[in-house]
Amino acid sequence: MNHKLLCCFLAALLITLTACGGGESNVAQGNREGILHFGNGSEPQGLDPHVVTGVPENKLIRALFEGLAVKNPYTLEPEPGVAESWDISEDGRIITFHINPQAKWSNGEAMTAGDYIWSWERALSPKMGNLYAYMLFPIVNSEAYAKGKITDFDEVGVKALDDQTLQVTLNESTPYFIQLMDHYSTFAVHPETIEKHGKKTDRFTKWTRVANMVNNGPFNLSEWKLNRRIAMVKSDTYWDRDNVKLNGVVFYPTENIVSEERMFRVGQLHYTQGIPLDKIPVYQAMEDTPYIQAPYLGTYFYLFNTTRPPVDDVRVRKALSMSIDREKLNNTVLQKTNVAAYSITPPDTMGYNPPRLFDYDPALARTLLADAGFPDGEGWPGLELVYNTSESHRKIAVALQQMWKDALNIEVTISNQEWKVYLDSVTQMDFQIARRGWIGDYVDANNFLDLYLTDGGNNNTGFSDPRYDEMILKLAPQAKTREERYRIFYEAETMLMEQMPILPVYTYTSKHLIHPSVKGLPSNLMDSLNLKYVSLDPNWEKAQTEKK
Amino acid sequence: MTTDVISDITEAEQGSSLWHDAWLRLRKNKMALFGGITLLLFVIIAILTPLIAPYSYETQNLDLGATPPSAAHWLGTDIFGRDLLTQVMYGGRISLAVGFVATSVALVIGITWGAIAGYVGGRVDAVMMRLVDILYALPFMIFIVLLMVVFGRNVLLLFLAIGAVEWLTMARIMRSQVQQLRQQEFVEAAISLGLPPHTIIRRHLIPNALGPIIVYTTLTIPSVMLLEAFLSFLGLGIQPPQTSWGLLISYGAETMEEFPWLLIFPGLALTLTLFSLNFLGDGLRDALDVRRSKD
Repeated sequence: MNHKLLCCFLAALLITLTACGGGESNVAQGNREGILHFGNGSEPQGLDPHVVTGVPENKLIRALFEGLAVKNPYTLEPEPGVAESWDISEDGRIITFHINPQAKWSNGEAMTAGDYIWSWERALSPKMGNLYAYMLFPIVNSEAYAKGKITDFDEVGVKALDDQTLQVTLNESTPYFIQLMDHYSTFAVHPETIEKHGKKTDRFTKWTRVANMVNNGPFNLSEWKLNRRIAMVKSDTYWDRDNVKLNGVVFYPTENIVSEERMFRVGQLHYTQGIPLDKIPVYQAMEDTPYIQAPYLGTYFYLFNTTRPPVDDVRVRKALSMSIDREKLNNTVLQKTNVAAYSITPPDTMGYNPPRLFDYDPALARTLLADAGFPDGEGWPGLELVYNTSESHRKIAVALQQMWKDALNIEVTISNQEWKVYLDSVTQMDFQIARRGWIGDYVDANNFLDLYLTDGGNNNTGFSDPRYDEMILKLAPQAKTREERYRIFYEAETMLMEQMPILPVYTYTSKHLIHPSVKGLPSNLMDSLNLKYVSLDPNWEKAQTEKK
Repeated sequence: MTTDVISDITEAEQGSSLWHDAWLRLRKNKMALFGGITLLLFVIIAILTPLIAPYSYETQNLDLGATPPSAAHWLGTDIFGRDLLTQVMYGGRISLAVGFVATSVALVIGITWGAIAGYVGGRVDAVMMRLVDILYALPFMIFIVLLMVVFGRNVLLLFLAIGAVEWLTMARIMRSQVQQLRQQEFVEAAISLGLPPHTIIRRHLIPNALGPIIVYTTLTIPSVMLLEAFLSFLGLGIQPPQTSWGLLISYGAETMEEFPWLLIFPGLALTLTLFSLNFLGDGLRDALDVRRSKD
């Protein structure tokens, strides 16, 4: 009797719980209403295209803004954005953009060439502290302006021939310059809006808030709840609005990939930024798997702070780098989802292959460490490795910690930091070893190699070599042929890796869970997303059964 | 009634009969005894871990990876191929140490502070308790974070820091108990006998307040263990390869669908400890209740 009562009670409880947890999932509702629910990794630093860095910010900004040219997500070839067309002079140094007369700001004003000049002056201004200012450095005199050597922006090679025509003069032919127009640091911002909320070069003013922001992309900001969600609705002023199929997008800061995966499973997300490593085999085994893995133009590595002992000694850096077994790491902890890396540029970046100067060699590593004054780890002063809080970074750090202990008999402590704290530590070089990843902003080895220029905003290692700077800045751009250019890159990268200011770990693959109802979201080398192409199919279940 | 109390005092003054009585009563309480023995066992294992652990806690075997319990690895292995039994044993060292050290710190500060405030009373009491109120108002997480940032990461400091924020409630409980006891005749008798205040606090007040203290202690130990796990998760506590039950559980929870044993066994260890603590605490409270001692 008692048992029966208990059963009844439990059944009642279960029914109540299910009833409470029920209702339509985000995905089902989103499919019906055309709203994409997008897991976006972490809360953005901000939404000002000339201030932020980072992948989550990129996804948000490229939904709100549009560049002169955008990447086609299928081919990665540039296609018209704000500019309806562009002409390139014979020597490749003068590019003339013709701005689409239909391109409008979200307040209805037409976009002009003047907006670009104003915005690029802002992006390049030394007061702005824009870490991505170098994206515009191919332009004549822009680097001198960004470094404060000249103060008159008129000397920079950008001119508005009329409201619709923007002429850009480059230092030399730069094959990837059009690609750069899809990078947010080259985007235009609305001058009046920014000046209404502060000075032109103020960072983090209120202009990026909901209701304040004036933007030019396919979506407008409608809600921003810190650490909860950022919602956007389709813009009705965007020039190509007829081709925008979604009615809105909601971005979620899903820092914890474990909970992100759970959110995906219960239908709260259409798309996840990542997937927990341990879950990959489970998803791979599924029929009609939502798991999509593709090669990705990015390198996962550690930064050495070459100004702090003991890693100020190149022998120590080499020893640390040679004593980790990247293949083993990849085959076990990383579940064979990546490719071991031995240099900074990913292999086969538009036909360029980086040098490989070393192998897994614990014996040589021990010799190097002994030469540096720490035979068998004796007298080792200790070393701290910092990483931004994340399950997969922790796993890699824990595995490397032990590999170093086994091979070199040295202690390395590891510690995690919250994303913004970590970014501060890295930019202020307040670390000995720090985790870092670099995702290509455009498909060219230059994008990886120019990180380590003497004053590079993302150098963060203290590495500085005038010869290296000259090769990347002067010799490579002047190269007549692709082969010659790549040969210079190869030589420069060899010089870089001989100094080992970074410890490459692996080349990325993009890994996402994508709900079967999502269409028009192809994988590509850049993991580049153009929300204009994305649509949702409410009848996906029917389509899937028919296919079977 | 009055005679009872007086005879109790004389006995207490004469020697250890309070503890002896308590032991006799505790022995009859099966649950408490079970709790005590389990705890003792865990403590012994924790102390002997470096000698008896089947594997090294940091040596990885990446090729092995996560395997379920087997003859070679009784509790299985984690994704780095490290033996889970060893991990749980080493984790127990940290967790139990945090639990006991931090709680002892909290007890010593809290009891002393509360007893003095309650016994002396008046302006001293007001000042001491306002200080407690002020510390209460400080968000204690921030306090610990500040301590860790200023003094650097250090396991012992972590213990002390947690203890240093957990004593406040203990001080309040102690003060109210002492205030109540102070009015009682046996304390007045002790005062008129000319005993110095510290002797009165030590011999009469603290033993009479043991009940609530013990109950509160058994509640503090688990919360301290969880606090340690939380701090470690934030990157302020224990860092790999060192580990604690709290950390093992938080890692295990992330992979509980693929590798459930990584969650179950550390969870079991923590649960068993907490149950044992509660049973033992209940038993001790009953056993040490002086007011019930002569039933």
